[in-house]
Amino acid sequence: MNPSSIPVLETPESLPFDLMRVPGLGHLFRWRYARPLLQAPLLVLGLVMILHGLFGPTLAPKNLATTLSWLHFRGVLVLVLLCAGNFFCLACPFMLVRQLARRIFRPRFSWPRALRNKWLSVGLFILILFTYELFDLWSSPWWTAWLIVAYFLSVLVVDGFFKHASFCKFVCPIGQFNFVASTLSPFEIKVREQDVCTRCHTKDCIRGRREPVSDLVVIRGCELALFQPRKVGNVDCTFCLDCVHACPHDNIGILSRLPASELIVDPIRSGIGYFSERKDLAALAIVFTFGALLNAFGMVSPVYAVETWLGRMLHVSHEAPVLGLIFTFFLIVEPVLLLGIAAWSTRVWARSAMGLLPLAVRYTYGLVPLGFGMWLAHYCFHFLTGLYTLVPVTQNAVAALGRPFLGEPHWTLTGLPANVVQVVEIGFLVLGFAGSLLVTYSLAEVDSADRPLRAFLPWAVVCLVLWCSSLWLIFQPMEMRAMMMSG
Amino acid sequence: MAKWLTEIVCASTLLITGCSRPAKSPPVVEIEHAISPQPARVGPATVTLRLADGAGKMITGAHIAIEADMSHPGMSPFFAEAKETEPGRYEAHLQFQMGGDWVILLHVTLPDRTKLERQIDVRGVRPN
Repeated sequence: MNPSSIPVLETPESLPFDLMRVPGLGHLFRWRYARPLLQAPLLVLGLVMILHGLFGPTLAPKNLATTLSWLHFRGVLVLVLLCAGNFFCLACPFMLVRQLARRIFRPRFSWPRALRNKWLSVGLFILILFTYELFDLWSSPWWTAWLIVAYFLSVLVVDGFFKHASFCKFVCPIGQFNFVASTLSPFEIKVREQDVCTRCHTKDCIRGRREPVSDLVVIRGCELALFQPRKVGNVDCTFCLDCVHACPHDNIGILSRLPASELIVDPIRSGIGYFSERKDLAALAIVFTFGALLNAFGMVSPVYAVETWLGRMLHVSHEAPVLGLIFTFFLIVEPVLLLGIAAWSTRVWARSAMGLLPLAVRYTYGLVPLGFGMWLAHYCFHFLTGLYTLVPVTQNAVAALGRPFLGEPHWTLTGLPANVVQVVEIGFLVLGFAGSLLVTYSLAEVDSADRPLRAFLPWAVVCLVLWCSSLWLIFQPMEMRAMMMSG
Repeated sequence: MAKWLTEIVCASTLLITGCSRPAKSPPVVEIEHAISPQPARVGPATVTLRLADGAGKMITGAHIAIEADMSHPGMSPFFAEAKETEPGRYEAHLQFQMGGDWVILLHVTLPDRTKLERQIDVRGVRPN
């Protein structure tokens, strides 16, 4: 392996902070059963949510399935991604079930070559967003419980047939969300010293360790095909720690880095290739960014006016076709127009030699911070304004079992005032906007060293349009309605 | 084996049906409701209820506790007591804190201490 081909993002003098060196935490992560230990409580919680969703109160604000899924899980997820990294995938309860099932059923097939990309997961991501709006999942404990059940079953079916972490890499919509969002996380699983890898002959981090005689895998290598010495960034990394456990030199850490730094470079990445050549990954970034606005748009008053107007125009009373049109506009028409015009402008003004599509693909990643800012603003609004509701809902669930040892439900407990949370929301949006401007400018500097401003300006306008739309959205009155077409 | 299973199922069915008490039929109570203003908007609202028995006779002296919940999690319910303003007519004042779908739960205790629950769906409360 040629060490010069290994991309290094840090300068030698900026030694990164390593979570694995933190006393206690490092020991925990190095322990072979760290992952199951973190997964087990979430699995129990998942089972409780399923049971309460199916057999508990039918009102969403009184049910653990809806409260935990749509308020607490989403809020904690985006905050952990912002402050640390993809630690949800590390503690993913679906993978614990998969591991248990694989003791009985050994997968025999390799994931089909035609599906070794993000197109399927992009489709599933859109499907989840669509069904969330169509079936008003936030208001239905029953549907929420079945969604969790469906997730468990999908994991079992996909990873029951196909080897490695096929579900995580090619199917899981939550995982894809985490992969994209974690490009902005401050931590990354990475080799500490490249020289150690250069001298390493075993490559256990990717191959795993096997028993010499039986050839049974003792410690897995990376199931997502990320070869540590050539891994760049967090995309496709589930923080599963398999590489940490497999490395015979203890040379892999959870290292700090500049958030979004992986978006401004385009080296060849192990298991991924070049960002600029991955149209499927760019499509995922588009759905992530524009879907953030769309998902928030579904919660505010103007969407009902739009739906009613569209319904009248098309003479339809069912929600699905109208919602389909709104999704098409937000996830296809709007991105094509905005990115197309920006790419064309960059090409003309900055006299870029790149084609329109490669330009659009390259700069799409620059919009990810804006999208993450919107997801943070939206999810943290629900999480923070309903922060304490978990207390009365849990008290109520325990009381329903006939043993109210947690006391009577304190229904007056809600969360932080909406006007306080709105300041936090604006902060996230500003952060996202600044991040997108920085990333797109960095890309423009690389592409057009002599005319960086000309290359940057069209993308700055796109960022501004999206940022203003996000700001407008969070100032709209909330209106959580289930039956949108009823007028 | 099949014979055993059949016998167990038959015995269980007999036990379940034979040992259960005949269900007490719930009293027939007609509850009419009206919410003002119409259409419902964010802010104060008044719920008016009329209680009558099966024969159409107004029910006086009932106790009605009201709970208004949003259809989505994260909001605390609003609690109120309905007051009898004239025989069989009860009125409660609520506060819709947010636009969207609301559910009003009525916890009714009749004069003979029989308890009833009713649910009123208030769809599309509009923001101001």
